[in-house]
Amino acid sequence: MQYIDEGAKTGIRECQYQFRHRRWNCSTVDNSSVFGRVMQIGSRETAFTYAISAAGVVNAVSRACREGELSSCGCSRAARPKDLPRDWLWGGCGDNLNYGYRFSKEFVDAREREKSYPKGSYESSRLLMNLHNNEAGRRTVSDLAHVSCKCHGVSGSCSLKTCWLQLADFRKVGDALKEKYDSAAAMKLNTRGKLVQMHSKFNAPTSHDLVYIESSPDYCLKNQSTGSLGTVGRLCNKTSEGMDGCELMCCGRGYDQYKAQIVERCHCKFHWCCYVKCKRCTKIVDQFVCK
Amino acid sequence: MRSRLPRTACLLRLIALCILLSHTAAYFGLTGREPLVFLPGPFSNEPPTGKAHLKQCEQMTLTRRQKRLCRREPGLAETLRESVRLSLLECRYQFRNERWNCSLDGRGSLLKRAFKETAFLLAVSSAALTHALAKACSSGRMERCTCDDSPGIQHREAWQWGVCGDNLKYSTKFLKKFLGQKRMSKDLRAQVDTHNINVGIRAVKSGLKTTCKCHGVSGSCAVRTCWKQLSPFHDTGRLLKYRYDMAVRVLSVTNAATGETELAGPRRHGQSLRTTDLVYLEDSPSFCRPSRYSPGTGGRSCAKDTSCQSLCCGRGYNTAMRLTSLSCHCQVRWCCHVECQTCVREEEVYTCKTA
Repeated sequence: MQYIDEGAKTGIRECQYQFRHRRWNCSTVDNSSVFGRVMQIGSRETAFTYAISAAGVVNAVSRACREGELSSCGCSRAARPKDLPRDWLWGGCGDNLNYGYRFSKEFVDAREREKSYPKGSYESSRLLMNLHNNEAGRRTVSDLAHVSCKCHGVSGSCSLKTCWLQLADFRKVGDALKEKYDSAAAMKLNTRGKLVQMHSKFNAPTSHDLVYIESSPDYCLKNQSTGSLGTVGRLCNKTSEGMDGCELMCCGRGYDQYKAQIVERCHCKFHWCCYVKCKRCTKIVDQFVCK
Repeated sequence: MRSRLPRTACLLRLIALCILLSHTAAYFGLTGREPLVFLPGPFSNEPPTGKAHLKQCEQMTLTRRQKRLCRREPGLAETLRESVRLSLLECRYQFRNERWNCSLDGRGSLLKRAFKETAFLLAVSSAALTHALAKACSSGRMERCTCDDSPGIQHREAWQWGVCGDNLKYSTKFLKKFLGQKRMSKDLRAQVDTHNINVGIRAVKSGLKTTCKCHGVSGSCAVRTCWKQLSPFHDTGRLLKYRYDMAVRVLSVTNAATGETELAGPRRHGQSLRTTDLVYLEDSPSFCRPSRYSPGTGGRSCAKDTSCQSLCCGRGYNTAMRLTSLSCHCQVRWCCHVECQTCVREEEVYTCKTA
């Protein structure tokens, strides 16, 4: 089932895009198969990877259903939303969100559910955390799915409109999950074996929020067990005050300055008909690399 | 030969002590190590009675010369406390969204190094002193100075109409005596400190505006009374924060023409260092984690869409609900007061995570 693999890979790509400016940039310790990589520590970053992987699977399977590549599902058979104007048609071929959601829930969660751990142990808290985060990822995808319409009346006017359900661009899912990552809630296991908040004065997390059970390690130095590659050799931005600035990225170790040659396309021209031809320009820029 | 050596060593030690004292004397303000009793309270409306100010002068950490000046002038103690309060509030207000939020923790260590933040602290403390002194003169709280008597202003008519301009001239003259700035200091740190103090004083001076009142026939401007007034301290604070953002890192160079050492910054479009720029010697540390310079940004309250990203240094934030009560449905009743109801609203409060 290459769609599951594709979905998880989409998730990892989006993760690497969202975290490209941070110390931990969603890289994997060993480049083995996607499902083999297990994050040992129940940190916020682990929560994000689980959520975005589950979201990626929902995305990939729903699209595959719509494109007819899976025999067990077809176009979306979702009910017509109640707030749609009366004279718009509901039809077309929408992404089969329902199937994708159920598939992801059964397949991705199956790995977690097949093991059982003693109540109150660390593994059971990790299990609960992973299930919660997978669900958060799936719900984010279904929340961001929207109604999309096409006008096909007389001369293309909107007197006749057909609408269907469409999944949001995965970038938006990544942005939403990144925001959830920022506001993730710290949890601990209570005596009854359920996850509860560490500090009860803060808002309780909903099923759309991410949860974590341990605080993040320091991603400054290389560490095989936590999956951190360290920040030695990372590019940093000298003028930025944020996490990609050279002070925070290099963890105070300092940085080296190099001049690098960048080749890029320039002076692009449109030729009739119908291609674009560009020249290649080389540019010398300053690059800052952490020590 | 042998008798000279201990004398020069003694002299060197005395010079070192003087330099050290000049550092601490240049900054007048809180260093985070004062006993709580010193924290200034609101102004009392009665005129200062007899010997009460002597006790206040003893409580503050001042040099011997400063204590002497304080004892001579009864209204000075209150004015000094008022200036400390002004600079504290203004500093906290201007830096409320930055990682270093002007906290008292770690301020002692911060003052020992020449960072951008030290430059701002020096400038804002001297500006607050200038402002408070000028206002105290015009409010009649000081014995040795009164309203502004600079030439070119119809001050006699001003007194008739009950207007009193802020006395900036006395304020700046007094400050030079009080802070004891030496011009010809070869120490780089002292030069930097002096420059920053002057930036603060100049910022207050630039906010001096001439305000006029027309009181001729039928309110026409045939007859006018004008006086000089200082702009509110918030404006000065805002100007100093802008200077902090544009601060320049300097080093010491020897002027080939005069042979003196002076401060010079990096070439910036061919412009030399201006007298209104704040200067610093070292790059600031990161204030994200608790260090000896600051308590870190854990627990700071931030705004979700704007400041949480940079304040929390990538650690994320916690959300809590808070009940706030505010006045709403306000109505004017004749005559002439406003009646408001109290509405209770629940809002989300975001605080940075500590780890």
